[in-house]
Amino acid sequence: MAVPVIMPRQGQSVESCILGQWYKEVGEEVSEGDILFSYETDKASFEEEAKESGILLATFFEEGDEIPVLENVAVIGKAGESFEEFKAGVTTSAETPEEEVVEEAPKVIEFEMEETSSNARIRISPLAKKMAQSMGINIQTVKGSGPHGRIIAQDIEQASKSVETPAPVAAAPAAVPTPKATPAAKAAPAPVVLEVGDDYDVKAIPNIRKLIATAMHQSLQNSAQLTHHMSADARQLMKLRKKFKKQLADGEIKQNVTINDLVCFAVIRALEKFPQVNTQYYGDQMKWFKKVHLGLAVDTERGLMVPALKNADDLSITGLSSQLKQLSTDARNGNVNPDLLNPAAASFTVSNLGNYGVEMFTPVINLPQTAILGVCTIVPRPKEIEEGVYGFVPMMGLSLTYDHQALDGGEATLFLAEIKNQIENLIV
Amino acid sequence: MPKVQYINPDDVRKPGQIEFKPIPVNQYSKTVEEEKENFSNEDLVRIYHDMVVIREFETMLNLIKTQGVYNGVEYNHPGPAHLSIGQEAAAVGMAYTLGVEDFIFGSHRSHGEILAKGLSAIDKLTDEQLIEIMDTHFDGITAAPVKAGHKGTTKELAIKFLVYGTLAEVFARATGFNKGLGGSMHAFFTPFGVYPNNAIVGGSGDIAVGAALYKKANRKEGIVVANIGDASMACGPVWEGLAFASMDQFTELWEGDMKGGLPLIVNIMNNQYGMGGQTCGETMGYDVAARIGAGVNRDQMHAERVDGYNPLAVIDAYKRKKKILEEKRGPVLLDVLTYRYSGHSPSDASSYRSKEEVEAWEAQDSIIWFGKELVKAGVATEAELEAIKTGTTDLITSSMKLAIDDEISPLMDVKTQPNLIGEMMFSNQSIDKMEDRPVEVNHPMEENPRVKSLKTKERFMFDANGKPFSKIKTYGLKDGLFEAIVDRFYKDPTLIAYGEENRDWGGAFAVYRGLTEALPYNRLFNSPIAEAAIIGTAIGYAMCGGRVIPEIMYCDFLGRCGDEVFNQLPKWQAMSGNVLKMPVVIRVSVGSKYGAQHSQDWTALAAHIPGLKVVFPVSPYDAKGLMNTALQGTDPVIFFESQRLYDIGEQFHEGGVPEGYYEIPFGEPDVKKEGKDVTILTIGATLYRALDAAKTLEEKYNLSAEVIDSRCMVPFNYEPVIESIKKTGRIIISGDASARGSFLRDMASNITELAFDYLDAPPVVVGSRNWITPAYELEDVFFPQADWIIDAIHTKMLPLEGHVCKSDFTEAEQLDRNARGI
Repeated sequence: MAVPVIMPRQGQSVESCILGQWYKEVGEEVSEGDILFSYETDKASFEEEAKESGILLATFFEEGDEIPVLENVAVIGKAGESFEEFKAGVTTSAETPEEEVVEEAPKVIEFEMEETSSNARIRISPLAKKMAQSMGINIQTVKGSGPHGRIIAQDIEQASKSVETPAPVAAAPAAVPTPKATPAAKAAPAPVVLEVGDDYDVKAIPNIRKLIATAMHQSLQNSAQLTHHMSADARQLMKLRKKFKKQLADGEIKQNVTINDLVCFAVIRALEKFPQVNTQYYGDQMKWFKKVHLGLAVDTERGLMVPALKNADDLSITGLSSQLKQLSTDARNGNVNPDLLNPAAASFTVSNLGNYGVEMFTPVINLPQTAILGVCTIVPRPKEIEEGVYGFVPMMGLSLTYDHQALDGGEATLFLAEIKNQIENLIV
Repeated sequence: MPKVQYINPDDVRKPGQIEFKPIPVNQYSKTVEEEKENFSNEDLVRIYHDMVVIREFETMLNLIKTQGVYNGVEYNHPGPAHLSIGQEAAAVGMAYTLGVEDFIFGSHRSHGEILAKGLSAIDKLTDEQLIEIMDTHFDGITAAPVKAGHKGTTKELAIKFLVYGTLAEVFARATGFNKGLGGSMHAFFTPFGVYPNNAIVGGSGDIAVGAALYKKANRKEGIVVANIGDASMACGPVWEGLAFASMDQFTELWEGDMKGGLPLIVNIMNNQYGMGGQTCGETMGYDVAARIGAGVNRDQMHAERVDGYNPLAVIDAYKRKKKILEEKRGPVLLDVLTYRYSGHSPSDASSYRSKEEVEAWEAQDSIIWFGKELVKAGVATEAELEAIKTGTTDLITSSMKLAIDDEISPLMDVKTQPNLIGEMMFSNQSIDKMEDRPVEVNHPMEENPRVKSLKTKERFMFDANGKPFSKIKTYGLKDGLFEAIVDRFYKDPTLIAYGEENRDWGGAFAVYRGLTEALPYNRLFNSPIAEAAIIGTAIGYAMCGGRVIPEIMYCDFLGRCGDEVFNQLPKWQAMSGNVLKMPVVIRVSVGSKYGAQHSQDWTALAAHIPGLKVVFPVSPYDAKGLMNTALQGTDPVIFFESQRLYDIGEQFHEGGVPEGYYEIPFGEPDVKKEGKDVTILTIGATLYRALDAAKTLEEKYNLSAEVIDSRCMVPFNYEPVIESIKKTGRIIISGDASARGSFLRDMASNITELAFDYLDAPPVVVGSRNWITPAYELEDVFFPQADWIIDAIHTKMLPLEGHVCKSDFTEAEQLDRNARGI
């Protein structure tokens, strides 16, 4: 039977060899041990001896050809035997395809993106720090996207863009605390004491504090805010309050309608007349709301929270009162829907410090909203009641902070006057 | 094994026995009277004189070290002083017959040999030659102090010059023979045939063999003497040197006038102690050190023990042994028995030997005895001998006064020139050939089969369509190395190359294929498997003025020549005060696939040692260009090559590898791929994995990586890397070395310091694990992979969207690995 002569493999790394010279011609008789041909690898030259005796029936390659190792080069057999089946390419390789390696489930490396409350240090790369300095960016307001929340160059680039156009900042998640609604979150955790001095302790800043800090600072940095103060005659409010109190006592209503509820009701009415204030400002565009989503600043043990009451303009005074009550209770208990804590959820915010006796303040806008109303305490002020007759009238202080980028002073003043008007002439 | 040597099983399997010839011990028995026919009175007195000079020189140092004063002159010498008081006859006997062209190499205890050989040379040199030597050494700076006010003959001046130059060197003065950079244990003066003495025990045992090889391979006059101690006969490199020196091929394979043994005398200065260890009876087993010759070769190295307490006995031996060397029947082993009265060093309390023993030897003191013999034979009177002693005391005293005078003999001025020593580390010259004479080759270069076959190769890896050529058609990295090396063989007649399997095999990785045909044995040969000797002999060869390429096959074998690579090769240019050049290019192949002892990247070891240039090209263009630069230079180069890449084609240099000669300057990293978001700096073959990583980063994460090939480690220009970081702000440093203590870490540290303000993340090192290199099948968990680089970027620099890590680069893991030491 005819046998093929293969190109030997000279070493593991050799893939092919070059045929040097044929020492036998087709048809010639060969004996075992005769040199058939020479060939060379890139490292050395070799000679191939015949391993069988017989007739050289066929050769498949010319001198100088590059031949893959283990390929059939020639056939030796008896005269007349067939050799076609040995021709290069006809025979199938005996090599079995490599089994596909089943990969083990890759190990997932999780990244601790949030800083722990005990770690107050800002991680920032040297490059990012240098960039922040040269671009005038306060790194306190930048959230890092690098490993361990490290602020890296791309974060500063991002922050620098938002200084030019505030839109991305408004969209940034850092603007308002979004704590997870877990029971454990209800109580404020005792701050970790980092260092005890002779007459002071250094304590870690809790996460919510950092988030508030970031949001507040960013607000002041990324908007042109200023505050107008005005007072409203509170007699109508107090009358209504008295009336609802009586109704509650008589069991006519279930809801304790507070002064704050009434102010909010008046504010909603004013917003309906001044849609340009019921807006969010995004630099090159403004979002005009068709409904009033009222943000209510709530002081909780864990810090300031501002949940939004959606579609507040649909509510009656008792409905409004009930919902605001529910919302503030939820916020204090830490189980408010986090979506409602997003500053973009509200179209306008009311912050009431009247209970604390504050007579005037400058609330900070909850960006991207365009304005916020600060409600102050009621103080008796002298007022001309009729011509020539003066008396003391309970007056409520109103402080409207607005973003001068979005609103002009005239509009803001007119809006504030409208609130005053609504309060003084409130009909519920 | 060359094919011409047929190992006949019938012969080698025959029974028989080895016969040893008797080894003579102290056979010399002539008296001075009998020797008068061979020596003039003057000669005999000079022998006495030279011994007295050595004795007084060493006594002076001993007094300074132990009492702080000599002959009323106070001085504090804080440095070493390994003295040879008692060994003077051995030194003078050794040097007496040697010509100026004969070289001696020594040990830490070689002051006596320096003086003996120097005095011998001064006697043989003409006044004109002596004046030229004194005037040209450092432009006459060493000679100036003794020349001032000298009255007397030129030879007397030369003797003052010898004593002063040596002493100033011992005292670290800039006017010393080696600018004070060699010191007591390394002082030497080549114009008198005094070659480096060596503070490492047995250090000259292989270096001297290389000097003998230089003499032989370049047909230079003279012999070489290796003065090493009896205790150094325990050192591996000494045995390796003996094996190298006694190779059969010198007589069996080297042809024509090259046939014959090395002109080498291994001269055991047998003072019978190694520090405090007694070599006969305690720390060695040879009994008589000359016995060693019997085990080395058929000639038993013509070994003999000689009485080193009689200078005439030593001279007699040298006369006979020099004849053997002239007949090309070397090497020779001499066991010169002697004794030192002084301790190993001044701190030696001689607790290991009895007072009686020292006194018994002092009673037979060679100088006293020889003086008496001279008087007895009527050669000199006692008064004449006394005058020699007085004159010598004056000589040593005046030399000492000059050498300790800070005005006349200042220390090297490192205060106003703080980089002076730094400038001595490299000679940094560019020299085509170390000597101008025709090269010895077997045929014109263009007739060489390898050179011819390279003409048909593709010098760029890809065809016009970007398809790679087949491996066998491609001009590979090994071809680049070959072209540079063969070119230098046809330029520099002194260039030789050797190592394991360098000749017929063509080098284990086929770099030298074709060289066997081109070169005679004396330019390319197989060495014994003795890395210490391969490098040690190369050092000796270069010291004498030759250029050499020793090859140690695997990087892992660096440990086998640790002293030679780390302690000898890098030191001699600076320690000689730049008298010596060291054009040695060590080829070191970094392996893979062969497991824990054949796959290590030890580049950091070489880069750590000051005085070595370290390169690691990974493309054919770089390999040829950097090898050309290495071979054009005069400094020691550790030339790393990767076994993964011998076949790789050129894929970076436009137009492929040039056919002509070109150099690539050392120290310039090369940007192999430009990018803007992250820099990847690599050492060695990891370049190609970094390029794979760059591809994935671009395609999957839209991150553009700049890939820089370091190409060199010493020297290294960081500027291009910093420029890259200014663009990218991030850098990964990757290579195949185990990360801990690697050069990658050194780079990371330098980059942090140099580019801190531009960094958006710490430089991250992606090296191999701190394990044994596992089998090829498991290598992917050991050597850095493309994935690792991406994982490291994701974990430590810039989280990549959607990326899932396969390897762990977290800080917790890093802390843990370090804490566990793995």
